[in-house]
Amino acid sequence: MIILKGTRHTKQGILAILCITWMAGCKEDDKPEFDRKSMLSNMAINVIMPAYTTLNGSLGTLQLETADFISNPDAISLAALRAQYVVSAKNYQHCSMYNFGPAMDCNIKASFNTFPTDAAKIETNITNGTYTLTINENLTAIGFPAIDYLLYAGSDSEILAKFTTDPDAGKRKTYLSDLVAKMKNEFQPVLDQWQGSYKTSFINADGNDVASSSSYLLNEFVKDLELTKNARIGIPSGQQTGGTIFPTYVEAYYSGLATSLAYEHLVGLETCFTGGNGSGFDDYIRDVESDDVTVSLADNILAQFTVCKTKMDALADPLSETITTNVSAVNDVYQELKKLAVYCKTDMTSMLGILITYQDNDGD
Amino acid sequence: MTAINSLIVRIGRFFDWHREVPAASLAFYRILFGALMLFSTLRFLLNGWVYDFYIAPRFHFAYLGFEWIPYPNPTVLYFIFVVLILACIGITLGFFYRISAIAFFFLFTYVELLDKTTYLNHYYFVSLIAFILIFVPANKYFSLDSYYNFVPAQKTIPNWSIAILKFQIAVVYVFAGIAKLEPDWLIEAQPLKYWLHTAHHWPLFGDLLKEDFTAYFFSWFGCLYDLLIVFFLLNKCTRNYAYGVVVIFHVMTWLLFPIGVFPWVMIAATTIFLSAAFHEKALRFLGKFFSGKQEQRTYTYLVRPNFKKQINVLFAIFITLQLLIPFRYLLYPGNVFWTEQGYRFSWRVMLMEKSGYAEFYLTDPKTKAAWKVDTYNHLTSLQEKMMSTQPDMILQYAHHLQQVYADTTILLGDKKLVFKDPEVHAEIYVTLNGRPSQLYVAKKYNLAVLKNNLSNRYWLEDFKE
Repeated sequence: MIILKGTRHTKQGILAILCITWMAGCKEDDKPEFDRKSMLSNMAINVIMPAYTTLNGSLGTLQLETADFISNPDAISLAALRAQYVVSAKNYQHCSMYNFGPAMDCNIKASFNTFPTDAAKIETNITNGTYTLTINENLTAIGFPAIDYLLYAGSDSEILAKFTTDPDAGKRKTYLSDLVAKMKNEFQPVLDQWQGSYKTSFINADGNDVASSSSYLLNEFVKDLELTKNARIGIPSGQQTGGTIFPTYVEAYYSGLATSLAYEHLVGLETCFTGGNGSGFDDYIRDVESDDVTVSLADNILAQFTVCKTKMDALADPLSETITTNVSAVNDVYQELKKLAVYCKTDMTSMLGILITYQDNDGD
Repeated sequence: MTAINSLIVRIGRFFDWHREVPAASLAFYRILFGALMLFSTLRFLLNGWVYDFYIAPRFHFAYLGFEWIPYPNPTVLYFIFVVLILACIGITLGFFYRISAIAFFFLFTYVELLDKTTYLNHYYFVSLIAFILIFVPANKYFSLDSYYNFVPAQKTIPNWSIAILKFQIAVVYVFAGIAKLEPDWLIEAQPLKYWLHTAHHWPLFGDLLKEDFTAYFFSWFGCLYDLLIVFFLLNKCTRNYAYGVVVIFHVMTWLLFPIGVFPWVMIAATTIFLSAAFHEKALRFLGKFFSGKQEQRTYTYLVRPNFKKQINVLFAIFITLQLLIPFRYLLYPGNVFWTEQGYRFSWRVMLMEKSGYAEFYLTDPKTKAAWKVDTYNHLTSLQEKMMSTQPDMILQYAHHLQQVYADTTILLGDKKLVFKDPEVHAEIYVTLNGRPSQLYVAKKYNLAVLKNNLSNRYWLEDFKE
């Protein structure tokens, strides 16, 4: 008992010593400043909103080019429309990973890019002349993949014929213009909301809980990376089916632009990871890591991004042909994407302590 | 010498299970526990967790040995929660206390046993306390049962009913402390190094929480706290200060980590160590709201039926189990964080940051069909997160996939994948407490034929430190 009674003064002493040591410990530190709020601010102002603005602008131009093409369908207007389609589809690859907030509410990800598209369904819709594009059954008959089909399926003369001499040419024109208008009409409010109040609420949700912006960013980043790994590369090249290939399941099958779109998507994901020139997940990782770490996880991930991009870039378009002629090169890309996914879903997620569910947690 | 003598006397008194002590302590405890569980149950309902955790999932990870438990439909489930709420009210008021305690213990434990995805140490703790409450006479004082003379009102109760609660709390803390005596916690300060970082946006303290030094301080302090706090709580001279430390410590963990009601459960639970005088004072204060009716009671001093032997035996069994279960991991080779053999029900709290990446492959050797499973079609994101790092859940999920895909055909475009009796293989990567991710389960095993039991998990890859 005597010993215990004496501890009161001793404890105070120990506490004082600890406080002093603590202070001293902090002064020595010279880590660069990082906080989630400035990362979110950078992501909103310098990454997400510019990407959205670019996409929105290109959808506007796409609408103009579509009107031009419809009023005068010829080789020149078709080429101009196709070029604008490619620009828009590539711009979209820099936006798809921000599938939360207004984009989520407007269901952009599903309605813009569900592939493979259903050619038969599109033709049925055109022939019927009446359709509701917003219903779930039509997700495979709208968006970029459907435009890809309308603009690229068949030879140029066949395509032009379908828009000019074909008995359903008028209906086809309407369908095309409906598809484009739908996308523009759906995306404009997304951008408007970001330019309005959403930007502030995004930046202010700077916690690490499941409803925080960091959680949205990280989870959707990982999901979108999985999408490229599985849907863009894995399923068509037979990784999902033990080697049975599905070449027609590639993204943008008719235009044959799958690998260049996938490459663009990797660039978009990398920007999402780095925050462009500003603060991003890579800085977050460096901030959490111990000072004595030899190779930063951020560097590992960046290096893996480079490997993936290089190998993706080396794959020849159209991907559907490369899959039949040189599937091992495609499988190689898949394995590299998988390494990247493991880094992001385990090491990075673990380190940043960002939650994916509301469940209480006692760390087990 | 006198100090030692008095210590011996005190220890002797503590272990004198059958001596009479003031009933107020237990009544106070009953009210606090009932009210907290009422809050916790309502919170669970209002957060929509009944749906998220028990109705939304299409597959449920049963506990080993409890696979036979029938799974309730949503109506029954919500009915159970209504009964739980009534039981909490019954416990708080001491109204139909015994039946309330029994209902609460069985229903709460039943819900916990439905899916191990949501296993939490503090749910286990609540089940154990509820189990104890069935046997202790917590309704003899300051209760509606005694007010209406359902039970004879009494001012004293046998010591064992308090001592067993103290023992249970001691088990939680001391074992949690012992579990922290390991290199990740003490030498690497993991996972606290990562977790403390998440609160870096706090004003004033944010920068401090980023420091490695802070992580080490919290780790070592937390370990010493867990190991020693009970002894300071037991000692009359230190218990008030110790309780202050309990409150500060748990409020801090509540602020820093998403651990829900656990801190409040512990802050409430440890009040049992406070003096009976305090408990009486608290009840007198509460009594003011009931127009002093409690004062008019006549208290009986009833001769208890002599159950001393039975109670001794029951305690001996309960205590022995409590002391042995947390050590069962020693029966297995390998790192308990890696194999998780003997991990649950052992008071390992806040010890592990583990994330996994799991892909499951179906193959049918006869039809040559192969398919990589999209886990999001089968599990919720919480289930997937838990499953991808916990070996028993990995096997359960593999067995589930085997059943789902047996005798099924997947149509993909113009191709057919026919599965008769598929094998299930998995490739899983896991990161543990800041180590780089490493292979956890290799593709070489057909998980569908591996038994989910208590034997050694040889099918896990070796852990690389």
